[in-house]
Amino acid sequence: MIDDEREGEIRASIEPATEDAPSSPGSSGYAGEGGDSSSTTSGSHFEIEHEEIQEDTRIEIDRISISDSHTGWIPGKRHFDEDDASLSWRKRKKHFFVLSHSGKPIYSRYGDEHRLAGFSATLQAIISFVENGGDSVKLVRAGKHQVVFLVKGPIYLVCISSTEEPYESLRGQLELIYGQMLVILTKSINRCFEKNPKFDMTPLLGGTEIVFSSLIHSFSWNPATFLHAYTCLPLAYAARQAAGAILQDVADSGVLFAILMCRHKVISLFGAQKASLHPDDMLLLANFVMSSESFRTSESFSPICLPRYNPSAFLYAYIHYFDADTYLMLLTTSSDAFYHLKDCRIRVETVLLKSSVLSEVQRSLLNGGMHVEDVPPMPHSGSSHLGQQMLPSDSPDRFKEVNSGIGGPSGLWHFIYRSIYLDQYVSSEFSSPINTPQQQKRLYRAYQKLFASMHDKGIGPHRTQFRRDENYVLLCWVTQDFELYAAFDPLAEKDLAIKTCNHVCQWIKDVENEIFLLGASPFSW
Amino acid sequence: MSLRRRTLLKVIVLGDSGVGKTSLMNQYVHKKFSQQYKATIGADFVTKELQIDDRLVTLQIWDTAGQERFQSLGVAFYRGADCCVLVYDVNVMKSFDTLENWHEEFLKQANPPDPRAFPFILLGNKIDIDGGNSRVVSEKKAKDWCASKGNIPYFETSAKEDYNVDAAFLCIAKAALANEHEQDIYFQGIPEAAVPENEQRGGCAC
Repeated sequence: MIDDEREGEIRASIEPATEDAPSSPGSSGYAGEGGDSSSTTSGSHFEIEHEEIQEDTRIEIDRISISDSHTGWIPGKRHFDEDDASLSWRKRKKHFFVLSHSGKPIYSRYGDEHRLAGFSATLQAIISFVENGGDSVKLVRAGKHQVVFLVKGPIYLVCISSTEEPYESLRGQLELIYGQMLVILTKSINRCFEKNPKFDMTPLLGGTEIVFSSLIHSFSWNPATFLHAYTCLPLAYAARQAAGAILQDVADSGVLFAILMCRHKVISLFGAQKASLHPDDMLLLANFVMSSESFRTSESFSPICLPRYNPSAFLYAYIHYFDADTYLMLLTTSSDAFYHLKDCRIRVETVLLKSSVLSEVQRSLLNGGMHVEDVPPMPHSGSSHLGQQMLPSDSPDRFKEVNSGIGGPSGLWHFIYRSIYLDQYVSSEFSSPINTPQQQKRLYRAYQKLFASMHDKGIGPHRTQFRRDENYVLLCWVTQDFELYAAFDPLAEKDLAIKTCNHVCQWIKDVENEIFLLGASPFSW
Repeated sequence: MSLRRRTLLKVIVLGDSGVGKTSLMNQYVHKKFSQQYKATIGADFVTKELQIDDRLVTLQIWDTAGQERFQSLGVAFYRGADCCVLVYDVNVMKSFDTLENWHEEFLKQANPPDPRAFPFILLGNKIDIDGGNSRVVSEKKAKDWCASKGNIPYFETSAKEDYNVDAAFLCIAKAALANEHEQDIYFQGIPEAAVPENEQRGGCAC
């Protein structure tokens, strides 16, 4: 489910069907609105100090109209009937806006873009006003809110957040939203604005709302969004090798990139010689594919742009789901390669079935990856596996203690390990006491903060950081080869925590064959 | 982004300070009028949704400040405008005389591809004052000016009495829609998928 960034007391539970125009003009909170075909929506004032991002005192009822037909429900776009005059809209903790340099709205996370036209104009006025002075606005703090601006040629992106995430993180998120837009449209969109400043790009983005809301959702659960690394599905070395071999085979036949994924995790990938795939591109591509329902139902061939690879041109992606979770993406530069790619897919599928990679993938999904409970008590060498869970599930050896509430040794609750050479990370499975999505989001936010502070160019770089607050002990360790982020019980002892981190690193070394894609880093060719 | 095609029009309102730009806005959008004068600082933004034939149109109205000290905001404000509403006070000659400057300044800053075809509209406001006895600009004079600018539509309005306000904005919205070119240039403009420098070897095997 999409998460909900808001304060608890206002709860708009059921969405009205809003396929057409916003149908409830009464909800914007202005008195005296007519119910006729025209309706007032908002008035904004361009005066920065009066800019009311904080909630105002207007008494307002968040009216939810329940209509009979739910056919128009658009997944991903929520609270369609809100605008900047709605108290509920103002209370949302994190807004994202995309607008054109003429102030026309392109995307808003919450509320209806057209009804936010006045707000959008205000944002443009602020940006342009500062630009007129030969400067550019990056961040405005207003009470507990941060307003982060990102200007990409004729496209302006703005985040208004009270989540206390670092500026760098929010800016990185705006970069990803812009990247996602390029995935769909390429940078050629700039030329449309050059020719015609009035250009309205919303029709070109029709139907992609879910792609953006899914990306924004991933900011709170997917560490790839701030680590700039990808993660692999844990898999026996032989199975990953088998998958890699056939992907290499098809890549040699004129495919630019061959990528086999399970949900947002990589099973294997291969690129044509010298072609490199950036982890951010993989994130955006996987998000685009996974959030678009139509890819699941049939094989597809779609123009797609990889912004880090070449922001101004389309590639063509052949996409096919082998099962509900596992999908193959074959990328090419040729717009008429569909049948060739289809043949490639059939070859890949045959090999995957023969070597039972797909069933191993399903088993890995069930068993999960690294569990903090399985961190070996002592650093040890020799052969090691991902704890017990790599054994067949029916094995009599399989026995896992359920120590709920205890976590791993020395109160270890969770860790993320990022390999710098591989551009990959591995994250432990969540376990007690980090059980709920809310707790997980909070931990990721804490990691994000840690990441930003470790990479702060002003005061860094740092090698280690130990931080204790009422929620966790956080330990971060950065070397030339890796970065380790670990969360412990807030009462954990420092020296034991450090020792445990060493164990974790040793453990990761021992099982790297199974958790990483080795020797195939897109950057290492 | 709903499935139904919706159009957003950026409307710039220009004219000397005190001619009633903000009052026209308030009357049009909020159906309110206040006798009290409050100078607009920078710009106010209001939106209004209306239906024209089968199209849903949102007017994004930029109510600008008339004072000269705000004119530096020009380019940024006028960029991408779909239409421009010029306002003067029929009781103040100077506000009519400066229309020439507003018109010229707008075209200079907004730089539309075809200035002659760009949709303007002229509103002569405050016709209610003193039963029309204090008026100094005649309707004919205003219409002559409009004719000289390529037949700009002209409306006499009263924000106070809500006279002709809706009609004027409907007119400008229609003119802007008529001027809107279908935006099909994007897909023609997309270059063929080309890979930079590292062109892959070989063609496909099919």
